[in-house]
Amino acid sequence: MQIRDYIIRRLLVLPVLIIGTSIIVFALTRIGGSPIGIYLSHEMNPAEVQEMKERFHLDKPVPVQYFYWIKGVTQGDLGWSGVASAPVVDVFPKKFAATMELAIAAGIVAVSLGIALGTFAGARRNKLADHIIRVVSVSGASMPLFWFAILLLIIFWVWLGWFPIGRSDPNLFEAIPHPTGFYTIDALLAGNFAAFRDAVWHLIMPAVALGYGATAIIARMMRSSLIEELQEDYVDAAKAKGLAERVVLKKHARRNALIPTVTVIGLTFGFLLQGTVVAEIIFRWPGLGRWMASAVLRGDQATIMTYVMFTSILFLIVNLVVDIIYANLDRRVVLGE
Amino acid sequence: MQKLLIITQTILLGIFLSVGAQAQAVKNPGVLVHAADDEATTLDPAQVEAGEGGETVILQVYDRLLEFGPSGPQLIPGLASTVPTIANGMISEDGMTYTFKIREGVVFHDGTDLTADDVKFSWDRIVEMDLPEGQAGVIADIVADTKVIDDYTFQVTLSGPSASFLNSTVVSMAASIVSQDAVMANGGVVAGEPNEYMAQNVAGTGPYKLKAWNRGENILLDINENYWGENAKLAARIEIGAEPDVRVLGLRAGNYDTIETDPSFVADIEGADGVTLHTGGLLLEPIHVGFNLNIPEGSLPKEDTIPTDFFHDPRIRQAFNYAFDYDAFLYGPLAGFGQFNPHYLPIGIFGHDADAPVYGAQDKAKAEALFREAGYWDKGFSVSVITEESNLFADAALVLKDSMEGLNPNFRINVLAVAEAVFDEAHAQNPIEYAMWVKNADPFADPHPYMSAYQHPDGEWGEVHGFANGYRNPEKVAELIDGASIELDVDKRAAMYSELQRLLFDDPMWLITAQEGVTMAYRSWVKGFQMNPLWPRPSLRFAYLDK
Repeated sequence: MQIRDYIIRRLLVLPVLIIGTSIIVFALTRIGGSPIGIYLSHEMNPAEVQEMKERFHLDKPVPVQYFYWIKGVTQGDLGWSGVASAPVVDVFPKKFAATMELAIAAGIVAVSLGIALGTFAGARRNKLADHIIRVVSVSGASMPLFWFAILLLIIFWVWLGWFPIGRSDPNLFEAIPHPTGFYTIDALLAGNFAAFRDAVWHLIMPAVALGYGATAIIARMMRSSLIEELQEDYVDAAKAKGLAERVVLKKHARRNALIPTVTVIGLTFGFLLQGTVVAEIIFRWPGLGRWMASAVLRGDQATIMTYVMFTSILFLIVNLVVDIIYANLDRRVVLGE
Repeated sequence: MQKLLIITQTILLGIFLSVGAQAQAVKNPGVLVHAADDEATTLDPAQVEAGEGGETVILQVYDRLLEFGPSGPQLIPGLASTVPTIANGMISEDGMTYTFKIREGVVFHDGTDLTADDVKFSWDRIVEMDLPEGQAGVIADIVADTKVIDDYTFQVTLSGPSASFLNSTVVSMAASIVSQDAVMANGGVVAGEPNEYMAQNVAGTGPYKLKAWNRGENILLDINENYWGENAKLAARIEIGAEPDVRVLGLRAGNYDTIETDPSFVADIEGADGVTLHTGGLLLEPIHVGFNLNIPEGSLPKEDTIPTDFFHDPRIRQAFNYAFDYDAFLYGPLAGFGQFNPHYLPIGIFGHDADAPVYGAQDKAKAEALFREAGYWDKGFSVSVITEESNLFADAALVLKDSMEGLNPNFRINVLAVAEAVFDEAHAQNPIEYAMWVKNADPFADPHPYMSAYQHPDGEWGEVHGFANGYRNPEKVAELIDGASIELDVDKRAAMYSELQRLLFDDPMWLITAQEGVTMAYRSWVKGFQMNPLWPRPSLRFAYLDK
């Protein structure tokens, strides 16, 4: 089958998969009970509860509720988030952008520091610097994120007052438009350097806390790969050719050592996204993780549905893209058979 | 190695110097930073629930005709220039008609002038919208008619005489005055439907204007420079969603000026540099255990062995009251901040009788005697109590469990600690499918709403819980509550509540674990700190504060 035909076939199947997923997810959330509780207060009497059920169509049978939900989705209405006290569709993009910004910042911290430390340690095997970096790596990999985050918070927010918590200085945040939802990018687009500095300043502590664990993993991987590479014959050959130690390290050994490390870097992004829940709660970061944790604890089903559907669709699309890339890379892969 | 030591020493010195330096400086000058417990759900007075985060903001950005002053229950003029009394002729002799002179020259945040039309519109609007989550009943249950006499005179006719109209209706956040022009230009009034504009914006006259509401992050309030009264001294920022520990750390660091906390954090705050702990007074929301006298057959959890009429017997209800370990709750979860109050008038409310008998000490002998008389001591029972998880209510349920199971191994209390949404759904049923539950009362400024909601056999909870099935003399209880609600003679009214408190001690419908004490912490640089539990939580009016 041609790739083009395969893509068309998969794209045609995609809506069916999405609808199927939505039915399963909707049914599963309803098995946990009616979502009405999130809209109630303990002062309400049964008549008022009934009114609230009617307002959200929760007085109807579950299949009819699903119909209302899917109808709302097609009209851009993802329901009302009881946790955020706002329509889900208004809140989700902002929270998603905040979380992605944090995860990417943590990724930058982890990759840059991890590779630098790993290279530094690998090139100085069994010397003091190597030992220190090993201690740092082991502690980074073994320290619970919540503990390290609280430690940073106490030292740098409470004691020193160097870094703030939250996402922004509200006055600076309010002063610029937010077309992308990424505060750093929006600040640059607005040409507001004070806002950009504010965005970076707020990112540092949660990004370091979140990125530290991943830094440790990357550094350890980089170190061991580099040590292996430095023992290869081509390194001796390069040195024998008269190349400087730095050139051998940077141009030859580090380049090759990066191959297995890059695989690990890809895997750690998932770890970073997962860690945002804890980092967002501790640093009061207004992202998806904190919102979702509250939604699960408080039974905010409209929010949970949106999140699960979003990740499911993302997964379906990523799967499709990966299949296509595989087929392109390796012609032995037979599509659709 | 020596280099490393020098670097470490330099860093440590830097830390100590900067810690020392920051202890002196006022942080965030010109802005009061308040760390709140929860997010507002709406800013619309017609939609806000009693006691939720939106009331905190509504208190600051809207005005009412009358307000509670900075201390205690005394009323002060708000948008009405005078507090109506019979003496000044603004309350009719029969107590049915109230006249309010509206303050002239008051301007809404949108620039329009306040008139009596806006006042009538505001009150009528909440009744017409009648949202289930709102508090329309605060007005609808008591007001028969509203009338504009002239541009600056507003008149209310009640559906019956009421001793609590000013204290519970006029000052309510639901009775806040909104700009008619702003509402009509943004969605108007639709029966049964929330107004989205009003839920997210402000159309008031209060000392603060809404600058921004960044959901999940903060609410920014600007000073209303055109305020009719004394201008606020500080802008305000309400920080939302910090964990309780983070709020305490933020206060200690000076990043927050005031925080919402509870007694379990007192030990972390006491003695901290630059922090003042305010512990005077009591919250007006007693924490109670409900006894259900209206249990539907076959509805109880399968572990429960009690019959559905278990709590009809007043001896059982008394025995539970005697068995509870009050000290364990007061000196455990409440850290000693609280007191015990008679059924069911909190300390600080008119009519509270300090000499009335109180369940405030565990009496195992009396509890045993009553359970023996009722026939349950030897055969025992198992009963479930539902509560929200991870809070003071869950703690109270656990103390009840320890108390009862410690009293008699044949007794079994199953604590069902569930998510708030699950509890709210169970709690809103009629009849409720659980025999017992734990929560706190809603705060009121007058005794009548407490008595009406929580004790009257035909009241809100009396009807749901079937109090008529259990009172020894339900007619007498109803007569006293109804009589006190229309008695305008202060002494006679107080005597009626006193009698009720004695009656209800012998015939309790609740187990009142304690009245929680106020525990509020703020930076010592905050000047003019005033806290009145009659204001919505956290019971602060930001406009009074300076730093």
